[in-house]
Amino acid sequence: MMKRFLSVLLALMLAGPVLAQGGPLRLTITDGVIEPITFAAPRFEVETPGAEGVASDISRLVVQDLAGTGLFREVPSTAFISQITSFAQPVAFADWRAINAQALIVGAVAVSGEQMTVKFRLYDVFSGQELGQGLQFAGTTSGWRRVAHKVADAVYSRITGEGGYFDSRVVFVAESGPKDNRQKRLAIMDYDGANVQFLTDSSSIVLAPRFSPNGDRVLYTSFESGFPRINVLNVATVGRQQLATAPGEMAFSPRFSRDGQSVIYSLSNGGNTDIYRTDLNTGQHLRLTSAPSIETAPSLSPDGSQIVFESDRSGTQQLYVMSANGGEARRISFGPGRYGTPVWSPRGDLVAFTKQNAGRFHIGVMRLDGSEERLLTSSFLDEGPTWSPNGRVIMFSRETQGATGASSIYSVDISGRNLRAVPLQGGASDPSWGPLQP
Amino acid sequence: MATPGTFISTAGHIGLIGWLIVGWGMNAEPLRIETMDVSVISGEEFDQMRAARTPVPGANPPDAPVIPAINPAPPEAPAPEPPSEVAPVPEPVTPPESETPPPPPPQPVETDVADDLPATPVTPEAPPPLPDLPQSDTPTPPRAPTVASQITAPPPPDATVDDVVRDAVVPDETSSADVRADEQEATAPEETTTQIVIDDLAPSTSVRPMTRPNRPTPPRENATAVAETPDPDPAPVADDVAAALEQALETTQPSAPAVPAGPPMTGAERDSFRIAVNRCWNVDPGSVAARVTVEVGFSLERDGTVRGGDVRLLSSDGDASATQTAFEAARRAILRCQSGGYDLPAEKYDQWQDVVITFDPSGMRLR
Repeated sequence: MMKRFLSVLLALMLAGPVLAQGGPLRLTITDGVIEPITFAAPRFEVETPGAEGVASDISRLVVQDLAGTGLFREVPSTAFISQITSFAQPVAFADWRAINAQALIVGAVAVSGEQMTVKFRLYDVFSGQELGQGLQFAGTTSGWRRVAHKVADAVYSRITGEGGYFDSRVVFVAESGPKDNRQKRLAIMDYDGANVQFLTDSSSIVLAPRFSPNGDRVLYTSFESGFPRINVLNVATVGRQQLATAPGEMAFSPRFSRDGQSVIYSLSNGGNTDIYRTDLNTGQHLRLTSAPSIETAPSLSPDGSQIVFESDRSGTQQLYVMSANGGEARRISFGPGRYGTPVWSPRGDLVAFTKQNAGRFHIGVMRLDGSEERLLTSSFLDEGPTWSPNGRVIMFSRETQGATGASSIYSVDISGRNLRAVPLQGGASDPSWGPLQP
Repeated sequence: MATPGTFISTAGHIGLIGWLIVGWGMNAEPLRIETMDVSVISGEEFDQMRAARTPVPGANPPDAPVIPAINPAPPEAPAPEPPSEVAPVPEPVTPPESETPPPPPPQPVETDVADDLPATPVTPEAPPPLPDLPQSDTPTPPRAPTVASQITAPPPPDATVDDVVRDAVVPDETSSADVRADEQEATAPEETTTQIVIDDLAPSTSVRPMTRPNRPTPPRENATAVAETPDPDPAPVADDVAAALEQALETTQPSAPAVPAGPPMTGAERDSFRIAVNRCWNVDPGSVAARVTVEVGFSLERDGTVRGGDVRLLSSDGDASATQTAFEAARRAILRCQSGGYDLPAEKYDQWQDVVITFDPSGMRLR
């Protein structure tokens, strides 16, 4: 018996290496590193006289966009071994490998009067291949920022495989004055806080602006009449239109449907708040909830088939999901504390929310079944998340404590990294991230 | 009432008497005398004690009885065996040196199994002939053919062996007739040495250990016949091992493709390679690509660099866009970390010249 056991044991020991042989060496790697991808972006080549300034500006903004994501890290020009003197010259990949630049961005700028053309190529340094094909953008010199954002979006998309978000705008509520007499008005800005423009004056309080799917209109709640009313504002003409409501009703927390043809919002009447849908073309109303509790903050799924909203029907404020046409709702949040302002991710896989627990506010995300809840931030008051167009970044407003506390807008990667404030003059809150611009 | 002192005394005396009776640690001579005086042991015991008197009783270590358990002695053998018979007991377990020479260092045991699947672990009867190896560049060390009382330097190459040393004389046309000498051949005594230089017998070049030749796989019926040469006892064990090997390999190696030559990669070598790629595999846990597993293949040069920088996508479980991103990240990892070549054992090149790596980010996804 012992001999047989030993013989079988020996056989297994000797057979192991044999099994490992044959064919190629096979390995499985499950652990990598999480670190920014290094890239080099020499100043874009100046192809025409007078393009030096804009070439420098565009190069700088491309680097700023990419590095600002936290996913990329620039290799400083002082480390360069070789220089790019011509857009068409072959790339000496060995020189860029030596400084551990994984990606190389080569560009050129030509200016003719007010017009300019910007072209670029992106290289994968270690494979010695070009990623995608060269692209060229034409525009005016005054619009150099958008061109730079476009270049950065293309680079981002080619490396990450996902859409960018640099050439996008954010509508928000600009705030000024002391806390007890705060002036609020609608404003719009580039995603990075540049090019702020005001859409309304400060004569009345405005709240919760929301971009339309294609960015041409903005929904917001106005207290111009003393009661909250929903307005639709045309961004190009700044023309306004008020959503019809009956006297005594309060409408708020609106969002566009995915096709931009209808609005879902909360309507409070007689002490009860429910969710409604109104067709912007016909004015037809449809009541989606009828519970005696407060249902508000609806947000549609990317395919428009479902709505996530907050409700206190269970006794505390929690998140629920129901069909876009109403009906039974299922609860998806079960953690401690209160959940509110849910927003469905453009990717469709996550819901961002505001959570209040143990005296702190958090911005978090969870899956649609309530699993994998992750809190990304924590502060005295964080609220009102909004997704970047590619579903990768969340912007929200943060208010500091005390009588002199001010609101400002922050962004954070969905991994919880790269928390940073959007540089703005004055206070800001209630951001709503618009789509990528055409 | 017995006191503790009484118990201790009684136990001590009993132990002492028992110890004296058994005789542990006692010399044989005084033990025999005391035993006879007391007359406690039987006659048979006395005879056995006398038979074991010559060797010191208890000289065998306690482990000694375990050895016969591995290879039990014949039941006819008397219990008190002389030391000369006890000592060879392990020999059947350890075959004679000429039967199983130690394997050459470059070829571990695993290689032997990989090369061939013998029915029995029988070694070839004669080593294969050495191949004709090229001569080394170093000159052959001088070895005097004759041993004499004193060392004599080797003669010039064109000198004739003679007892007397004479220089060669060549007619010189330029010299004068008065000093011209007779023409003669150079002579010198034979090269001798005072002792035989053993080192000279060593080959001038080292012989690389040969790979074990392919052995025929005889049917199992013949195996017992081959195995009868040594002690018959190991044969059943060898049979079992061979049978188990055969069975295991039959079930686990069905029509194996071309098996790479050379020893297999060890676990440490594989881990080292894996870690080398790990540290350059940059995963963005928030990306869609972090939900895609890709399998890539590439070939390596002997210096460990990726041949032609060519990394191929073999399979993926994601959509096209995410797959492309995941593949590019894997390719970057492989190419970026190769540097001057991956540190892999050169003698196992056949094992790692073709590589397939599965990049599975499931453990790095956001949770």
